[in-house]
Amino acid sequence: MFDIYKLMWGKRKMVHTLALQEMKKEYAGTLLGSVWGLVNPLLRIVVYWFVFSIGAKVGQNVDGAPFIAWLACGLVAWFFINDAFRMSKNSFRSKRSLIKNTPFPIAVLPAVNVLYSYFIHLILLATILVVMVFYLKTISIYWLQILYFDVAAFLLLIGIGAVTAPLVAVSKDFGKLIDTVLVFLFWMTPILWSIDNIDGPLKFLVQLNPFHYIVQGYRDSIFFHTGFWEYPLYTLYFWIFVFVSFVLGNYLYKRMKPIFLDLM
Amino acid sequence: MQIAVSVKDIVKKYKLYEDKWGPVKEILTKNQLHKEFLALNNVSLDFPKGESIGVLGKNGSGKSTLLKIITGITDPTSGSVEVNGSLVFLDVSSGIDQELSGYENIFMKGTLLGYTKEEMLEKVDAIVEFSELGDFIHQPVKNYSAGMRSKLGFAISVNVDPDILIVDEALAVGDSQFRQKCMDKMNAFKEMGKTIIFVSHDHNAVESFCSKAAWIHQGTLIMYGESKQVAAHYNAFMSGHKKMEEIEMELNYRHGLQTAELTASEGQFALNLSGYVTSADETQTQDWTFVLQNAQTKETRKFPLERTEQGAFSMSIPFTSDDLFYSPGQFTFEVGTVNGEGDFASFPIWAEDVEFLSEQEVENTFKYTLQTYNQSLLLKIFNIDKLEEQVNRISVEDHQVIVDGVAFVRGYETPSADAVEGELYLVHKETFDYRTFPITFMATEEITENQAFNPLGKNYTYSRFVSKVDLSELPAGEYECKLRYSMKREPLHEIRSHIWASKIDQYDVNEHQVNGQTVQAVIKSKYLYLVVTAN
Repeated sequence: MFDIYKLMWGKRKMVHTLALQEMKKEYAGTLLGSVWGLVNPLLRIVVYWFVFSIGAKVGQNVDGAPFIAWLACGLVAWFFINDAFRMSKNSFRSKRSLIKNTPFPIAVLPAVNVLYSYFIHLILLATILVVMVFYLKTISIYWLQILYFDVAAFLLLIGIGAVTAPLVAVSKDFGKLIDTVLVFLFWMTPILWSIDNIDGPLKFLVQLNPFHYIVQGYRDSIFFHTGFWEYPLYTLYFWIFVFVSFVLGNYLYKRMKPIFLDLM
Repeated sequence: MQIAVSVKDIVKKYKLYEDKWGPVKEILTKNQLHKEFLALNNVSLDFPKGESIGVLGKNGSGKSTLLKIITGITDPTSGSVEVNGSLVFLDVSSGIDQELSGYENIFMKGTLLGYTKEEMLEKVDAIVEFSELGDFIHQPVKNYSAGMRSKLGFAISVNVDPDILIVDEALAVGDSQFRQKCMDKMNAFKEMGKTIIFVSHDHNAVESFCSKAAWIHQGTLIMYGESKQVAAHYNAFMSGHKKMEEIEMELNYRHGLQTAELTASEGQFALNLSGYVTSADETQTQDWTFVLQNAQTKETRKFPLERTEQGAFSMSIPFTSDDLFYSPGQFTFEVGTVNGEGDFASFPIWAEDVEFLSEQEVENTFKYTLQTYNQSLLLKIFNIDKLEEQVNRISVEDHQVIVDGVAFVRGYETPSADAVEGELYLVHKETFDYRTFPITFMATEEITENQAFNPLGKNYTYSRFVSKVDLSELPAGEYECKLRYSMKREPLHEIRSHIWASKIDQYDVNEHQVNGQTVQAVIKSKYLYLVVTAN
């Protein structure tokens, strides 16, 4: 039931090397290299802060957490999820020529993309955390919880990557659909706005989005010092979601591999 | 014998849709809207360990698809693959990233092949050296020439250490020096006892490098066996010599000539042959016929074969002098039988392994040579001497055409009438009907006195010939006019040749009416023909 994940783990050195290659490839030929991995997200954070806080004047401090810090934190989590998902869903389609010509275990490809995004994410996370220390002038043991949420995010992304990659390999349209869904999710996930602003069934609906678990988790760790064990049901829901996506991902890969190998 | 790779009943189908909505429409309407392309049709093959096996096939035959299935790049629609040992696919361009440098690509490809960074570090120097790229190894691959890219690809692939190596026409690009290096490395692999599967459409390469070969055509395995045989059949097909039906028929039967001998026994010169022909499943129910055919005129002589239980036969073809079929020309040897549809079909009998019990070149009345050509037997009959001959006059009287000319063989003196005898004969172009007409040799000074023809002053008195061709009972058609000139003294040679007639203004080449038919002597390219047309 979990064959492809066993493969990903078994070949983790290969996955690691391939992820590094991806990074080299992405920035090969540029002068600044992986610095771009920082510049782009930082700029976006600044823009959002400016628009919401200064331009539209709707950004307020959330529960004592300063808006820009609270925003930056959530965005760091979101950038990881968004970029990793966007890339891993395409992991078969984008490596078409490699798959069609080289014999190697292609099931690991979604993991490669997630890992690659994680490397970029780490650089950004480290930078933001350093800035946070200076800005907030406090640090808490709860910050360690970020490790937990990173692992959670990583596994979630592997799961949904495994589910979507074969589907996208079969249907390019589906890939475009996901891109649209991601845009939708960006706004519907409480990243730029606080979940406390809504209530009732709407709040429930929004919480069904597993990405919210991660984003909120980041904020809970850095600002609100809330442990993930303090909302056990939600934590359980999240991990069931991950489990289901793992099973589904494995199943879809097995069923669709012969189809997408010929279709691509 | 151990098997390195075994494929069983491999079928590979591709679905071809007319438009991009095809797959969706198909699911919704539950109709079949696609054409199926059968890339591989029930292919079963066992590749033995430690040997080099070639896979031949023209482009689009399915051989690359079969490779992809063996290496695991693609899955078959049905069927199974079993691989015993580590497998590396040696092609020069896969897994190479253009943006990275050659050096980085070495590690990249190594990773894809499953090697760790440490293992690659051990190999990288050897790879760089093999590739002959020098400092260019640190340049991005996108800046390489095609030759450099293939050098890199090959250097990486060939410096790994697999049990089974699959080579896909990798040696197509690269200068001959580098190609030689690659061949040396491949030969080294062979010595090490590794299994090499070599895919190509160059039958020479396959024949020289591989011990066994398989031929795939339009998704079907046509034959598998010794590389020389397979390459020969493949080449015959690709060069247009044989059609697929012929080859398939040949392959249905086991056949071969074992011995051939030109011998003169009891005063009769003959060709003795022995061989075998059986159907592949050893049933003996068919009657086989041996066919000797004149390669130019297509005239044949047939001999029924009497075979033993094992399908062996031996026979003798006497070159009887009255049968004018055995005249100068080229002759092929075929065996044939009535096939499933009731038609008689024949194919050249395999003669690559024939043993010649006599000399391959023997002189008797004529010069006879035997040789193998395109894996079959070829008999050539030559006149030993050249007949110097010319027609001086052609006239038509009553119902006869009178041909008057001179003929002699340099060095063979004809001082009297009993030195030579002969006849004029007509051969119908289509029915091969032979008609002979007597010749009278008469005395003349024309040749003996002619310094140009006769510098040595020999006696060619009886060199004039006159022949009267009776036209009264000639069926319609076109006839070659030929002359048989037989020496009645040593060396007792015979010459048969088409009559040469170039003094056109001396000939009556008009149409004449004889017995309700139109008859005309015709000169084509200075050779004499007779054309008879019914009115």
